[in-house]
Amino acid sequence: MYQYTEFDRSFIEERVNHYREQTTRYLDGKLSEDEFLQLRLRNGLYLQRLAPMLRVAIPYGTLSSNQLFALGKVAREYDRGYGHLSTRQNMQFNWPELAEVPDILADMAKVDLHAIQTSGSCIRNVTTDHFAGAAADETIDPRPYCEIIRQWSTAHPEFEWLPRKFKIAVTGAAEDRAAIGVHDVGLRVYRDAQGQVQFDVFAGGGLGRTPVLGALVRSELPIEHLLTYLEALMRVYNRYGRRDNKYKARIKILVRAMGVDGFRAKVDEEWVHSKGGPGTLPETEISRVEAFFAPPNYSEQPDVSDTLAEQRLAKPKFSQWLQHNVIEHQAPGYAAVTLSTKATGVPPGDVSDTQIDAVAQWAADYSFSEVRISHEQNFVLPHVPKQHLFELWKKAEAQNLATANARLITDMICCPGGDYCSLANAKSIPVAEALQERFDDYDFQYDLGELNLNISGCMNACGHHHVGHIGILGVDKKGSEFYQISLGGHAGHSELAPSLGQIVGPSIPRAEVCDVIAEILEIYVDLRLEDESFLSCFKRVGIAPFKERIYAPSH
Amino acid sequence: MHHLINKQNDAWQLADAQSADQQHAWCDAENWQPGQALKLSVDAELDPQWAQASIIGIDFPALTDGRGLSLAVLLRTRLNYSGDLRGLGAVHEDILHFMVRCGFSSFELPESRDPSVALNCITPHKQYYQSSVVDPLNHFDRV
Ligand code: HEM
Ligand code: SF4
Repeated sequence: MYQYTEFDRSFIEERVNHYREQTTRYLDGKLSEDEFLQLRLRNGLYLQRLAPMLRVAIPYGTLSSNQLFALGKVAREYDRGYGHLSTRQNMQFNWPELAEVPDILADMAKVDLHAIQTSGSCIRNVTTDHFAGAAADETIDPRPYCEIIRQWSTAHPEFEWLPRKFKIAVTGAAEDRAAIGVHDVGLRVYRDAQGQVQFDVFAGGGLGRTPVLGALVRSELPIEHLLTYLEALMRVYNRYGRRDNKYKARIKILVRAMGVDGFRAKVDEEWVHSKGGPGTLPETEISRVEAFFAPPNYSEQPDVSDTLAEQRLAKPKFSQWLQHNVIEHQAPGYAAVTLSTKATGVPPGDVSDTQIDAVAQWAADYSFSEVRISHEQNFVLPHVPKQHLFELWKKAEAQNLATANARLITDMICCPGGDYCSLANAKSIPVAEALQERFDDYDFQYDLGELNLNISGCMNACGHHHVGHIGILGVDKKGSEFYQISLGGHAGHSELAPSLGQIVGPSIPRAEVCDVIAEILEIYVDLRLEDESFLSCFKRVGIAPFKERIYAPSH
Repeated sequence: MHHLINKQNDAWQLADAQSADQQHAWCDAENWQPGQALKLSVDAELDPQWAQASIIGIDFPALTDGRGLSLAVLLRTRLNYSGDLRGLGAVHEDILHFMVRCGFSSFELPESRDPSVALNCITPHKQYYQSSVVDPLNHFDRV
């Protein structure tokens, strides 16, 4: 993991002091509501329907055990005993007192955490693959480059006041678990034939009201030019992105307006002047940061396949958990484990302080003190020796964190929706709960196989419904809550190119959502060939058979 | 009237209300001639002649409008403009440190703002991660 330098530490301390001073000025009436809004957003503080919400940055989703203990403390002392894992690998807390936020941030700073640029129209926390440095299908660990981008984008003088928020994601594996296609900038990192680190740069992807997949604007960008190129791209966006209409202000609209070729040419025109200049990464810096992410000290592991087989026979639930929540690791004898927050009856992503502490302890005991947060809103322990899996599973069971549903229908992504969010058209958490209860039968879930179901309470798409294999969107129909269902969306997993969902038909009232989803699943089961996944089946048969049967006149 | 913040002997200060530096006859880009004071809107496209302005001001329509920051960087780095570069319009005390690092060398702070607060928060950090117009070194050049 990256270790803070003296400079990192003093920088965030100075930032906390500055924010404390801004908060005081606001409370003294020297900053207006609107002025303070801009400042608090850039320090992670939202004011929501019911209470404020503080979003703590978890850079590229990687945390140490100590940092997670500190977050458990925040949940206990400042929230009502809960934290929320966000779809951008961050951690959110509800109910902090505005006047107390500088104290929370000061506590966070003691363990090298901050909330800088977790909201507002600026470059947000960079996200990546939650299995980075662990997954067997990885070509290169993306985290050093995420860290380089984090440093460069922190309080960047030119890009703190953009037309709109700006999200960067990086992936280095065959399967794109970072969903780079739906980000303002998506980076695919790999080594060329000579072993040099390079990037393919995609721009203009995003969800929200106008979902778009990013376009390739530059391929084979050498690592030393990463920052000057991003700077040129950001400058074009900062100068020409629309500022008259917030719904047209994301970079995707600019790329569309200029055309991909026009946008690329404009960036290149800008880059000519800065390429090779300050910001060009020296070899020493690249290797300095890479060194922080060197693999941990793996030890020789015993062959435990026989023991595991016995344990699987003895405990079918353990067996299911191994099959769904444990993946192959780069290092022999190790595995990466998903601790699912999606137990029936729990809002997706919600974790209690006790659960947070437990995960922090398991990280210390079993995973080189490392934890990840996935954009599916689960915890991941990246490096667990296989010989400890059974022990870990028992402990996770006791904490309700061993639901064996990773990537299945009940491993839903769900935004806070109408229960918490003032922009919502409809509630989303009760829909998630109803679906979890309806499909609680694990044999049925296992038979369905991999299936992402994503729910957003409005077209802002925080729940990523466009890229759910099944997407559910809350809409307002003459003042009552309705839901629109889309099918076939996909964020770039499974080595398939990402795609956006297609709407299956008119929206429906909440009471009908479970039945319609059940019907969709039935149609899939009827149409699938052998082991065909929902997504592959959909790609083959298209939307027509679903439309016909769901909206058949007899219905 | 506004408060003029500028630099004297390398230190930020509140300029005297009677200072000659308060009296510029600003011309917009269409009517400007070399040697005159040039006032730019944030969406201006560069003109190489501007390097010959007696002073350049960039007029911020809102504190959230970052276009003026990019324009300042371009004036300093692309045109190598070395004269006084002044923030005008919606200048806000909490944006000053970004503006300084993009090359602004003086500010007209609106009358309603408190200049002592502005001077107090103009340098919230001793060092930054990135190089900038005023500092060619990145954090990584120092470690
Ligand atoms: C609680 C109240 C929340 C509000 C008011 C809110 C507001 C918004 C808005 C307005 C957008 C759309 C921005 C745009 O593209 O124009 C957005 C996008 C997004 N939000 Fe939220 N959000 C909230 C909570 C959350 C939570 C809890 C999560 C994570 C679980 C989340 C994750 C996201 C993501 C990932 C996007 C990006 C979609 C994209 O890239 O276009 N939000 N949010
Ligand atoms: S999708 Fe809409 S309802 Fe859900 S959190 Fe985002 S803004 Fe709120």
